[in-house]
Amino acid sequence: MTTPSPDQIKTLEQSRQRLIQLTHSLGSLITSLNQSDPLPSWPSLQTQASIISNNLQSISTHLSENHELLRSISALPAPEFPTKTHGNTLEQLLRTKLDPRVEDWVSRGRKADNAAAQNAASSSGSAGMFSTLPSATAGGLGAGVTGAGAGGLSEGDLAALWEWAPVEANAEARKRSWGGNFTLEERERGIESVVAELGLRRVLEDDEESEEEEEEDMDLDFGGKAEGAGDNAGAAAGEQVSPVVPMNDILRYMTTGILPAVR
Amino acid sequence: MHELLLFASVSSHQHHELLQQLTGLTAMQPRHSLERRLIFKATRKPGLANTRGGASQGADIVRLNKMLNGQMFYTQVVGPVSEADFDGKSSSSESQDASMSGTDEVAGSSYDYDSQPWKLEFRDIPEAGIRSTITARLAASAALPKGDVVPSMNAWGYSFVTEYVVEGDVFIHNDIVIFLHRVLQYSVHPGQEPHEPRRQLPSFRELSPLERTGSYILQAAITVQDGGNQELMRTASQHLFGLREQLKSAVRLEHADRLSLDTRAK
Repeated sequence: MTTPSPDQIKTLEQSRQRLIQLTHSLGSLITSLNQSDPLPSWPSLQTQASIISNNLQSISTHLSENHELLRSISALPAPEFPTKTHGNTLEQLLRTKLDPRVEDWVSRGRKADNAAAQNAASSSGSAGMFSTLPSATAGGLGAGVTGAGAGGLSEGDLAALWEWAPVEANAEARKRSWGGNFTLEERERGIESVVAELGLRRVLEDDEESEEEEEEDMDLDFGGKAEGAGDNAGAAAGEQVSPVVPMNDILRYMTTGILPAVR
Repeated sequence: MHELLLFASVSSHQHHELLQQLTGLTAMQPRHSLERRLIFKATRKPGLANTRGGASQGADIVRLNKMLNGQMFYTQVVGPVSEADFDGKSSSSESQDASMSGTDEVAGSSYDYDSQPWKLEFRDIPEAGIRSTITARLAASAALPKGDVVPSMNAWGYSFVTEYVVEGDVFIHNDIVIFLHRVLQYSVHPGQEPHEPRRQLPSFRELSPLERTGSYILQAAITVQDGGNQELMRTASQHLFGLREQLKSAVRLEHADRLSLDTRAK
């Protein structure tokens, strides 16, 4: 037996620190779920979840970086270890197999990982190290990994979905002409019933109707003004026509009488 | 006298809105304006002076020669009219008969050409270069005798080119005259271009806008009496730029192409 070098002790110490952080954040999440009534707001839950996920990530990196050392190291009680008072801890440290509960978590995690082939290597790597860890924290880690892996779709499926979705959504969007808060089908069925069905609280304007009204208003305005200007103004009214003759040509005509077309 | 100008093109559907905006900006109702504009072109050099008079006569002679033998220009004769002057009957065959038989146009139309006041408006080609962001030009006007201006103009060496009607609204904003206007043309049968100003006016409805979509031109102008005073010119420019900023969200005022306002007759 060799005494571990300072470096190795440091690595072990770091693992311990990170696991403490993880247990802390998990503990605080559990307390907040248990104690606060009503349940904590979504943003605070999100924040806690992302803290936990960061913790998990840093542990995972740390473990895989020090894979070799953690694999080879094994715990042995020194003669001066207070066996009588801390027998429980000693038993935990000397375990060669995982706690049955933890065994369950790990196997569930493995199953989920097998589905996602890419993740399998790193996951089993970290799972394999549980033997050197105190069972309680290992359980926490295992649960986290399982939770993350149980998403349902594999990476390949997700990629395929993302490839398919934008094209399909675009094609679907092109089939319709947009604008307005209601579809034609809905309008035919009567907007009131749709509103009641969806439980809309705010009354959305039906754009098509209001546009028509606006156009009528505009016609009226122009009609009033066009009395003097004659038909020419009336013909151009209502439509949004941009001038066809450039301003400079009009100015030239005004100055010299040269018609724009003649130039 | 100098004119500083900015122009903007206003499409017909924007016209009504802009009128209201200008009414608000200037706190005045638009003053509707209708003008007959006759365009005359110089046909011969206004004067013939002996350019080889001798070098000893000095700067005055040089300047005089320059004025007399200078370039020839287009010039405008402007006469205010009212909508009442455009009488619907004058274009009918009946009233044409009436005027041909010499029984006078008063029978068909209230428009009296012989008492039409006129104003001669001379505009130089805009100054080149210096103020490229603003149109500046020399301007001069003079009142003309009422009635038929053609004989007088001919005597001065100008011949009639064409005429049109300018319809628009005038606003005054501090020292800026804002004129939102468009050009209306008489309906002319091909090959029957008149060679002198109309003695009677057709129905207003028969006038068609030069720009078919009925768009307008927004003109913002400041007149500076002493164009040589750089301080005044600069202040005036700044006032115009201020207006340009105020109207920025509605229209884009900019200087006109210098050559489109070229009044030189070639």
